[in-house]
Parts: sequence; C-alpha cells; structure tokens
Amino acid sequence: MNSATKVPVDAQVDIGNRYALLASAISGRPLEVAGGDPGRPAWSDGRTVFINAESAAQTQLQCVVIQASLIYAGSLEPRVLHKLARKPSATRRYLSLEGHRALTALSDLLPTTVVSVADPMTAQRTESPQSSLILAIGSEDIPDPPASFGVIRPRHVGIVGDERIDGLGGAHVPPRERQAVLRELEDDIGEGAIVDILASPVGGGGPIGRLLKRLLGDARSSGAGSPGTDAPTRLTRSSNSVSRLGSPTMRRLAVSKDGSLDVIRGFVYPEWNVHLRSYRPEWCTVVELEPEDGDRSRIPAGNTRSLRRALARLGTEVERQRRQPQGEDLDLDAAVDFYVEVRAHSFPDEDVYIESQRSRRDLSVLVLLDISGSAGESSGSGGIVHDHQVSAAADLTAALHQVGDRVALYGFRSQGRSAVHVYPVKRFDDTVSTLTESRLGGLRPGGFTRLGAAIRHGASTLERQGGTGRRLLVVLSDGFAYDHGYEGSYGEADARRALSEARHQGIGCLCLSIASTTDAEALRRVFGTAAYAAFGSTDLMASAIGPLFRAALGTAEVQRRRSERVTRSTELLSIERSGT
Amino acid sequence: MSQDVPPFYVPVGTEVQVFGAAFQQGLSVMLKGPTGCGKTRFVEAMAHDLGRPLITVACHDDLTTADLVGRFLLRGGETVWVDGPLTRAVREGAICYLDEIVEARQDTTVVLHPLADYRRQLPMERLGVTLDAASGFCLVVSYNPGYQSVLKDLKDSTRQRMVAIELDFPPADVEQKILVHEAAIDEELATQLVRLGGAIRRLETSGLREVASTRVLVAAARLVTAGLDLRDAARAAIAGPLTDDPIVTAGLFEMIDAYVTHTST
Repeated sequence: MNSATKVPVDAQVDIGNRYALLASAISGRPLEVAGGDPGRPAWSDGRTVFINAESAAQTQLQCVVIQASLIYAGSLEPRVLHKLARKPSATRRYLSLEGHRALTALSDLLPTTVVSVADPMTAQRTESPQSSLILAIGSEDIPDPPASFGVIRPRHVGIVGDERIDGLGGAHVPPRERQAVLRELEDDIGEGAIVDILASPVGGGGPIGRLLKRLLGDARSSGAGSPGTDAPTRLTRSSNSVSRLGSPTMRRLAVSKDGSLDVIRGFVYPEWNVHLRSYRPEWCTVVELEPEDGDRSRIPAGNTRSLRRALARLGTEVERQRRQPQGEDLDLDAAVDFYVEVRAHSFPDEDVYIESQRSRRDLSVLVLLDISGSAGESSGSGGIVHDHQVSAAADLTAALHQVGDRVALYGFRSQGRSAVHVYPVKRFDDTVSTLTESRLGGLRPGGFTRLGAAIRHGASTLERQGGTGRRLLVVLSDGFAYDHGYEGSYGEADARRALSEARHQGIGCLCLSIASTTDAEALRRVFGTAAYAAFGSTDLMASAIGPLFRAALGTAEVQRRRSERVTRSTELLSIERSGT
Repeated sequence: MSQDVPPFYVPVGTEVQVFGAAFQQGLSVMLKGPTGCGKTRFVEAMAHDLGRPLITVACHDDLTTADLVGRFLLRGGETVWVDGPLTRAVREGAICYLDEIVEARQDTTVVLHPLADYRRQLPMERLGVTLDAASGFCLVVSYNPGYQSVLKDLKDSTRQRMVAIELDFPPADVEQKILVHEAAIDEELATQLVRLGGAIRRLETSGLREVASTRVLVAAARLVTAGLDLRDAARAAIAGPLTDDPIVTAGLFEMIDAYVTHTST
C-alpha cells in the first residue's frame, strides 16, 4: 500500500466505528460493532457484534460480515434460539448451517473475499432458521463451522430480544417500521453502567453526584464576591426594563476532579416570586455539563422532509435591489445616470440593472429539551415521553440545520435551585454530526424541571451566541414545572415570567409538548400567551410547525419594537431627571 | 465525427417508450430520480434518437424568469433584447432540459406553465409578444425527490402539467455493463465496485445524505483506468464525496476495504 492510502482518520477511530457502517449495510439496520474479550470468538446479541479486537484485520472483517449476515438472515431470532439454550453442540451445528445459508443467500451483496468461505453444499440442506434448528437438533452429520463464524450465544441474544420489542432482536425489520418500533421501546436503563450514572446525576453517591456536590458547595462560598459588585447596579437599572434581568452573571469555579483542576462555568439567574410579586436576585445557578455519549442508534432517523419544507419558507422574501451589476431588468434611473456620465466624459457607474435577490436567512433557534424524570413516564401514544421528545428534538435540529439556520440543542433538568443542569447536545457553532446523535442518545430522563431558569439560560445563550436578528426559543417539555421550592403556581408563574422576559428581549418563544399526558389547561397556565402546541406524535408536528414558528416570531417582533420604545422613553426620562 | 456517437444509455424499464410517446404528443416530461442515476444521460440519448438539439439549463436558486426567457441589455446606447435558453428552444423546436428544476425559485417555474400544457406558448411580457412553440419543442425537467428538493418542492400546478418518468439506480448487471462501457475497466473490477455501491445503498441511517450513485461509481472506475489502485480510487471518488464526517468516512473506508480486493499490478 502506498503512503497516499494512509489517511489519518484510520488511527483515530476505534474498531466499533470502523466496522459499524459495514455491519449496518449488510444487516440492513443499525448495528454496532464492539471489541469483545480478547481471545474469545466473535458473537452478536442481535444489536451489537462483538469481535476480537486483537485479531488480524481480515479475520475481523470476516467475523463482522458473517455476524451481520446471520442477523439479516434471521438466524439470531430469539424465538428460534431459545430452543438451543444449553445445547452447545446443537448450537454449533445450527451456526454452521445458518452461517453457510446466510452467506449463500446474500452472496450477491457480500464482499467476494468473504463469500468464498460459504459452502453451498451445506447451505443447500436448509432454507430457513426453523429447518436449520430441526437439522441441528437431529443426528445428521453436519460439518463444524469454520472459526470465522464465531459462536452463537443463545441465552444472551434471548435476553436482549426479550427486553426489547419482539422481532427487533431477530428478524429483519424494514427501516420504516423499525422507527415505529424504536419509538415504542421502553427505556432500557438496565443495559449499561453509564446509563445508571446518568439517570440520577446528582442523587446519591454516584461519581457525578459527588463531583456536583463539591462543585456547587464551592459555588455558594467562593462565587459571592466578584460578581456581586456590578449586580446591584444592573438590578436597579433593570427595574425599568425587565429584559435586563436576564443577563447572566458568570461564575468561574475551580473544582478538583480526581486531583485535576477543572473550570466549570455557572450562570446565575433571578427567579420570579409570584407570592411577593418580586424577583429573587441571583437565585438559580445554571451549570453547563458535557453530555455523555450514548447509543446513537437510539435516535430514529426521522423523516425531516416535511419539517424542512415547512421551515424553509420562513424568512426568505425576495427583494428587488437596484443598481446591480447584473439583473433581469434595467434600472432606468441608473441607466440615465450612466449616459449622463458618459456624455459628460466622466467615469460612469455601470451597475444599471435591477436584481431580485432573496434575503439571506436570518434566524437562529435554540431548542431546549426537557430531560427531567417526568419525561420518563409512558406517553399516550406508546413508549415514553422522553423518546418522543428526543426524536422531535433530533428532527427539528436536523431540519433547521439543513435549511441553513443557526440552531442549538440543549437538554435541561434540575435538582434544586443551585443545580440547574443544561447539557449542550449541539451548540450554535457545532455541526450536526454523528456526535450530536450519540450525545442525544446518551440523554436519560431524571431529576426535576426548573423551567424558568432553563428558559432564562436559553434566552441568554441565544442573545449571546445566536448572532442573528431573529431569534427563536423552542421549549420541548411536558410543561410540568416542578422542583424543590418550585411547586404548583409558583413554578408555573416563574416559567410564564421567564417566557415573557424572553419575548421582551425580542426572542420568539414556542413551547411544544409531544406525546405528553399533561392536560391543555396546565399547559396554558405554564406557557401562558406564548405560542404553544401539544402533539400526539412527532409526525403530526410538521404540518403545524410553520404557522407556529411564524406566530412566535411575529409576537417577538412586536414585543421587541414595543420594548425598544419603552426603553428609549425611560432612558430619556432618566436623562431629563439627571439633568434637573 | 465523435458528435454522431449516440450517448450510451441502457434502458431499464419503459422509460424510452414513455418519453417517445410524450414527445410525439407534445407533452412535457418530468424525470424523477436520485442524483447520479442517469437522468441527464437519458435526455441526451433521447435527444439524439429523436434528432432534436438539446438545450440544457442547470437550475440554481438565483435563476430568474429573465435568465430563462431573455432580457434587455445595454449596447452602445441602445437596449438590445437577448433571448434566453428557453426562448431559443421554443423558437428552434429543441428539447429544453431544465436540470434540477426544484433548485429554481417557484416564481421562476411559473413561466413554464403555458408552455407545459396544451397551449405550448411562451408569453414574453417584456416584449409584449407570445411565442408559439415550434414543432419538436419539448420541455424536460429533472427532479430529485430526495434531499435537494425539500427546500422548495415543485408546485402541484407545475407537476400536473408533466408526464413523470421515474428512474432509479440500474440493477447490478446493467450497472456493471455501464461501468465497463464508460470507464473501460474489466468485468471483475466493475463487479466489485457495483457490489460496494449496492452495499452503501443499503445503509438507511448513518449520517449519509445521499448514497453512492452510478455517477460516483463511474468516476471511481475511470480513476482506475487512469492507473489508480482500485482502493484509492474508491476512497477518492466514493467515500470522499459522500461525507465529511470522520466517523462515517472511516466506516466507508472499511466498507471499501471489505469489498475491494487489492489490485497490485
């Protein structure tokens, strides 16, 4: 191989990422590949293919291809495999038959080097997993499977298959149907250790929990000094304009994590106390935490087409621009000027055309995804609310990104006012990539919902990083505002207040509730006059999203103009007062 | 002389008959299909078979009605009318092929309406005249129902004035024939590339917006003809154009390595 073929990405990417695409292409559905125990033969649980990370590349390739072919051919169907449990020799015979059958059946699709392993004679003896099973249990002579076939572990496939929807662990499910199946999946929290940590990040004695306790303890003691100096002035000034209350005070905290120093940013926001009709200054601390990577195959590849079509029409008006170097019509004024200049023997401006140009897209959107524990409840339309919300968030983000808007996606939950956690799944400047998907897949519902603080943080992030004239905050939540000291009407009033602050800043607010069981009356109490809508499922969202976005942006536009006017008049007033 | 060589096109279904019938009846044709599946080549082949000149316009989102119909330009103190490609095709009776029509703005495509239905007329409002299409004029648009079309879909009123022909990637044996013909590579290499293409097309998720088209397979095959190793050619012509994502790229490289055997010549 010459040096040109050595591409640096090879080195960065581990075994799973290298083979996952190949495995998915052969099995016809998303399939992960992972390095299994060294020295053990390859096997698959129907969702992940485990191969020996230390064997030669050619062997690894064969193992991946064969396991993926078995999955495509339905050989790992739990219903068949459970009959093979605790029958190692029958399992080996079954593997041999099925392996050759799968390779032969798929021979047109597979790499030629792997097809050569197949033995058509053995393959001929069976035509389905069922007939292989009967042969395997019987006493006919069946050749041993080659080493590259790996092994079948009937009981391990069975466990995964039972936990998940029947059929997903075995027979091939066409991609469109599979999305529906995935959406209905129960949250399989028991599957990995990472999940458990994430499920309750602050509670108990988990490593993240301990870290956060230490971190937030520091926040209260060390953070009070420096930011407090300018805070009072800001608060007095903002008594005229509510919007300024939203500006964050940033705290830099140094915490030690396993001996090393980390700097984590905390943002402090006020909260509205409806009982006293006043703000509680510096009441909530919002911390941005890096989301854990999860399983990106959990994110169904949504069909964003109708969404994109609805969103593409926003903010693209055609304008006629005069004095252009080219265009479809002559700009008569410019043409006359041109000849005047020519006759006067001076230097003429040759831009004499009118061009219709579409104004550039000028919209940034921040999507706030509620990942509190209430999202873990089962929804009215199957599955849990969280899965519906995640798929809606994924679709919205992808669609907005594809039509060329600036878009960010943050997950949020809380555990009391000093621990409002937001997880930047995609910041404004990140591109939409596989990393976004795996971060999104790593989010698990847990904790509570301090909606107000999350909305204030979202609005302030939009304000700082949005960078466009028109800004939109989309809150995906079941609308159930609840946290320590944030119950009932108090929480609802604060969330409503936070939304109206955002609108005064000229940020459009749109609240979407997907597949949640919260009743419409409660949603109205929380989301107030903001544009909000509840959908039974993600698919229904596309038809309504265009008008909703437009309405939200329109309200913000009006509010912004009004508040600019108010601000200007109050400033004038204060100047007059200071003058006298 | 090379002008007379008919463009190489292998029919897969009834598309040639449908196109011929539509042309004979003066109907407009809409070609649907993923990028790189042979829409443009099909039109070239049909224009050659029917003996009509072909005028191609690659549509883009700044394409205006004036770009299609024509405009006044200033020339030496006078305004001069210059025909656009559509007007030229209408006058000459040529086949006018609007490639990737959905890329054009909808207000632009409306000018096609009187041309595409029974009237077969082109109103030119700036000149104040209406042109009748010469016989032999045929309007053909291509349209990719996948990724590109979503920003602006084709209006229903435009769509219903057309006869639709759906094209897709050719079956493996035809695609192999195409590779052998287009790039003059041997059957064995063509088989490997076609299998690789087929595998990539089976991927449904995985961050690929578009799959490997016949066009990228031909490109890879041509690189091989020019002396490149098959693996390097596939990396450069197939994996590179499909994605920028490093993880997906690595996955594609691995697929290429799996499907392509080494050709150390």
